[in-house]
Amino acid sequence: MILVKRGTLTTAITAISFAIVLLYLSPFMWMIGVSFKPIAEWGAPYFFPQNPTLRNYMELTTGAVYGVRGHFPSIMPYLINSLASSSINSILTTFLGAMVAYTIQRYRFGGTRLATWILSLRMIPPVAVMLPLVVIVKTFGIYDTVWGLILIYPLITLPLTTWLMIGAIKNVPRDTDEAALVDGCTEIEAFFRIVLPQTGAGLAASATIAFLFSWSEFLIPLLITQSTKGMTLTVYAAYFAQEYGVLWGPMSAAGVVIALPVIVFAIIVHKYLVKGLTLAA
Amino acid sequence: MAFLILLVIYPTVYLWGMMFFSFHPARDPYPKFVGLDNFRILMLDDESWSSLLRTLILLSISVPIQIALGILLAVLFTSRYTRGSLILRILILIPMMIPSVIIGLNWKTILYSHGPLNELIKSMGLEPQAWLSMPFGNPSNTLICLAILDVWQWTPFITLAMVSAFESIPKDIYEAAYIDGASGFKIFRLITLPMSKSSFVTILMLRIIDSLKIFDTVYSLTYGGPGNTTTTYPFYIFKTGFTLMSLHPSYGYTALLSIVLLGVATALTTIIMRILKIDEILWG
Repeated sequence: MILVKRGTLTTAITAISFAIVLLYLSPFMWMIGVSFKPIAEWGAPYFFPQNPTLRNYMELTTGAVYGVRGHFPSIMPYLINSLASSSINSILTTFLGAMVAYTIQRYRFGGTRLATWILSLRMIPPVAVMLPLVVIVKTFGIYDTVWGLILIYPLITLPLTTWLMIGAIKNVPRDTDEAALVDGCTEIEAFFRIVLPQTGAGLAASATIAFLFSWSEFLIPLLITQSTKGMTLTVYAAYFAQEYGVLWGPMSAAGVVIALPVIVFAIIVHKYLVKGLTLAA
Repeated sequence: MAFLILLVIYPTVYLWGMMFFSFHPARDPYPKFVGLDNFRILMLDDESWSSLLRTLILLSISVPIQIALGILLAVLFTSRYTRGSLILRILILIPMMIPSVIIGLNWKTILYSHGPLNELIKSMGLEPQAWLSMPFGNPSNTLICLAILDVWQWTPFITLAMVSAFESIPKDIYEAAYIDGASGFKIFRLITLPMSKSSFVTILMLRIIDSLKIFDTVYSLTYGGPGNTTTTYPFYIFKTGFTLMSLHPSYGYTALLSIVLLGVATALTTIIMRILKIDEILWG
């Protein structure tokens, strides 16, 4: 009996799964819907805009005033800050992470204790260490700059990239770099010329993930930046909630702009992402 | 390495030292030594304890729901009858990756009193709720809102982690059980669950630790309000240290609060590190 019904059952369960997942994503789709609605429809309880408009997106780039509802500045300087800090941090922490991972994986540098310590940094509630970090950033005179962000972000991203790179380096056959060492390479040469090129996908994935996490980071830029010189997109988005009243159209448009690159990249590296987040080997 | 040491050792020393001082840049020219006075403030500060309690309540509402939903979805995704499992997994990844601040803004437009959620409730013939606004609503609703947000954001994490745990179970065990005539539910209860137990514990601990960090969504959805009804512990630290909204604006007191949170997180982290077999993962 089961055999007869199997095809129908497959169709039914697959359909149900997709329906559940789409329903699950509906809050996010709601935001996309609002971002295309003109001002009169922002609060309206239906998904598809009756008069779809791109105005919300256009005005994000210029900044705008919506009568008594409030006003907001242009997204551009924040976009540039976010891009700059996230990409520099991504490159920096990936290389640092790769080097730390190499010494830990191949030379057992610091033993289990060091590895555990680096990994446990992932668990720290950032808000509990922000106070001294704000003081550091102010002492160095890089408060409210992109450099301040680049200094502090590794606290979030370095444990992740180290962890991912340990996995990647583990997969590189040990013989290859040992052969290189025998042939007269120094350890550093062996690392850069033999091991690192072989980690290929892992390297790219951990760079992408470092980018995603610094792009989404909110607390750090909130506390160590205060103007267009250093503020990032996430803080910009939050100010919609706090200062510019209920400008839901532009707010949702900003949300979509900020979330889209993250989603696209996350889909590309989804395999590594789950590994990195769940501390799987 | 020097980088991490700068970012970790200095803050630790600073926090432990600052704990005994009273200092706020807007008020004092230099830190004043007050000995154990900050501990006295902590003991008498009801708001600090109630925000800690609130964080625990939030955690005990949202984490079990996430786990139940997450496992349910994971079972659905790995079922023999489900096609397109990879697409499903990629789609479900989305809520987890949207920056938390944006999730807060997103849900603000959904939970507002004439928003889609209330319209849905009305169309089902139920009483619409004042989810976020205090004056006419039930203040505990806002905490429920935060729980809903947390569940929405992190259920995918459980799902994806459990999917990979389920898939690491050798296939032949299932085949053997199937040939022996075990039913689907029995297979799940007697094979799948016990064999993914260690992943499950890790994931549970990770979720508990991460719930202690909940800040971004609080900031953008409610800013701790209305009143103090959604001020979680991290948000309370933020309020004390970095805003002028606090009753005890002092870096010293903030340092003490931070150390309490770090203590809790460290204790939990120690447990999780015991469970993970670091050696095997690194060099195995």
